Amino acid sequence: MVGTGARVRVGSALYNEVVEWMDTEAELLDAYREREWLEAMVSRDVVYQVPIRQTVERARGTGFVAGAFHLDETYGSLESRVARNETAYAWAEDPPSRIRHFVTGVRVTEDAEDADLVSVRSNLLIFRTRQEQTQPQLLSGERQDRLRREDGALRLLRREVLLDLTVIGTHNLSIFF
Amino acid sequence: MTQAKSTRADALLDELDTGLAEGELPAGLFGNQEIYDRELRSIFGRCWVFLAHESEIEAKGDYVLRKIGEDNFIVIRDEEGGINVLFDACRHRGVQVCRADSGNTSHFRCPYHGWTYNAKGDLVGAPLWRNAFGGMPKEGNGLSKAARVQSYHGLIFATLDPSAPPLEEYLGGMAWYLDLLFGLNEHGMEVVGPPQRFVIDANWKSGSENFAGDDYHLGTLHRSVWEIGAFPVPFRENMMGYHIQAAPGHSLSFSMAPTEDEPGPKFFGFPEELAETFDTSRISDHQLEIARRSRVMVANVFPNFSMLALPMTEDGANHAPTGVVTIRMWQPHGVGQVEIWNWFCVYKNMTPEQKDRAYKAGLGTFSMGGAFEMDDTEPWITVSRTGRSVAADLLDFKLNYQMGMPGVGIAKQVEDWPGPGIAFWTRYEEGVQRNLYRHYADMMRAEPGTWPKSSFDE
Repeated sequence: MVGTGARVRVGSALYNEVVEWMDTEAELLDAYREREWLEAMVSRDVVYQVPIRQTVERARGTGFVAGAFHLDETYGSLESRVARNETAYAWAEDPPSRIRHFVTGVRVTEDAEDADLVSVRSNLLIFRTRQEQTQPQLLSGERQDRLRREDGALRLLRREVLLDLTVIGTHNLSIFF
Repeated sequence: MTQAKSTRADALLDELDTGLAEGELPAGLFGNQEIYDRELRSIFGRCWVFLAHESEIEAKGDYVLRKIGEDNFIVIRDEEGGINVLFDACRHRGVQVCRADSGNTSHFRCPYHGWTYNAKGDLVGAPLWRNAFGGMPKEGNGLSKAARVQSYHGLIFATLDPSAPPLEEYLGGMAWYLDLLFGLNEHGMEVVGPPQRFVIDANWKSGSENFAGDDYHLGTLHRSVWEIGAFPVPFRENMMGYHIQAAPGHSLSFSMAPTEDEPGPKFFGFPEELAETFDTSRISDHQLEIARRSRVMVANVFPNFSMLALPMTEDGANHAPTGVVTIRMWQPHGVGQVEIWNWFCVYKNMTPEQKDRAYKAGLGTFSMGGAFEMDDTEPWITVSRTGRSVAADLLDFKLNYQMGMPGVGIAKQVEDWPGPGIAFWTRYEEGVQRNLYRHYADMMRAEPGTWPKSSFDE
């Protein structure tokens, strides 16, 4: 999901705004402030997907399978996941695992048609531990996002998480990428 | 089998034998390395195991890479449309010849010296053949194959044991119940996309026994799903229904109301327009009636192939629950790990919108990011830890599988059940799990070439 317009230069006002947005998002998610993230940073029209990846021969591409997912979420289903984590019975995350989002390589592109849209690609590393674990569970991949300015603020309109994994090695995906 | 001396695994199997009658299992079954090593040979090396659905390899040359036990097998459709299950090891030096999870090909070429095989596994050539191998027959130098391969409702199974009974005999009474999930109309089912795969630190048997009919855990472990409106039948009502030991090893469970006029979900929550196409073209009136009254079916085909059909939604505020069907493998991955392979099934004659709805509802509930599943893995991790523990051995620690035994709880055997096997009314019952472990115990001790009975009537 590379933007259709010009690359936004590092250090420009828009670039800085996007990086601050990503830092804020990571901070909220790492601090279990999921509802704040959902309500303040996610568009009602969001499409949020983690496609399945397979190992395939080089000639067949990167192995992402169209229409097949680990997660395929809308605002309603994201809300449902946030609500679940808030119940007293979400055993999987109570006590919660500890997660840290490392976001690097932020690349911002304008949209040629719509000044309210920006496309952002970023590298993501999630470092996760639970209970007395010393070996972290690591999830790495590229996020391909589209942010839309709604009432002046950027919100997440589209997120595709392209994982560097075919087999997921963490005990659940109750976390947000 | 001649054992030089009795080992800890022998002792555990003895404890299992005697404990089952009392509803007790030794915890070491879930963590003992020697038990696990024996399972790979005595269970996975012999039983019919699920590999793929035919809809995954529809075209000639389509293949997927799957596992029997811990070993890779290529499941490929050949030029004649036949399905071959080939051991992924070159006959020359044992090198892996298939290095992708799926694809389409007419042949596999070993990357080491170039031995090349067709879709039937026959050796077709190698570089500079005459210089290197002239005079040596190609016949007999192909890839090794599973001893037998058979499909049932498009579900492809294979066994490595030539002495295994035919698949339908192996399934025994379970076939009748697979019919009423996969054969409700002439079209049958297909899978949506490739499977999700994830690895957790648990023993494979925890998945199998859970899907053999552990309904009682819903009220505690999965309580959150009612709080968010993901599942329409309250816990207490959902405990009404039948537990069935379909055949030795194979168990299942139906959620069903006491009376047939209850207004709740029918046909596992499948859309009404779809249910109108359900008929008796492939099943009996009794089977159709059971499916019609069922809110949930959950089942495990011994050893590690499970399925679940039930009404679910990933977003209770915006979408009513709809019928979701997941099939999955609890693939052994060492004594302390299981790799879960998870597929979603839809009826072929569903509309694209119905398929999409069912897929989204399934993803949001019974996948590793799903509201149900993400809690399931949590207890299984510590079952496995307890299974490895020295304390469990020293303290002679037994696990309790007594629910529904005579004098325990309200479950009662049903005398006039119309289907095969042994049925109990109400799902407060763990006979379904004892059935799994009874057969497990028999398989673990069976002499090579001999099979425990596949019916309760024998």
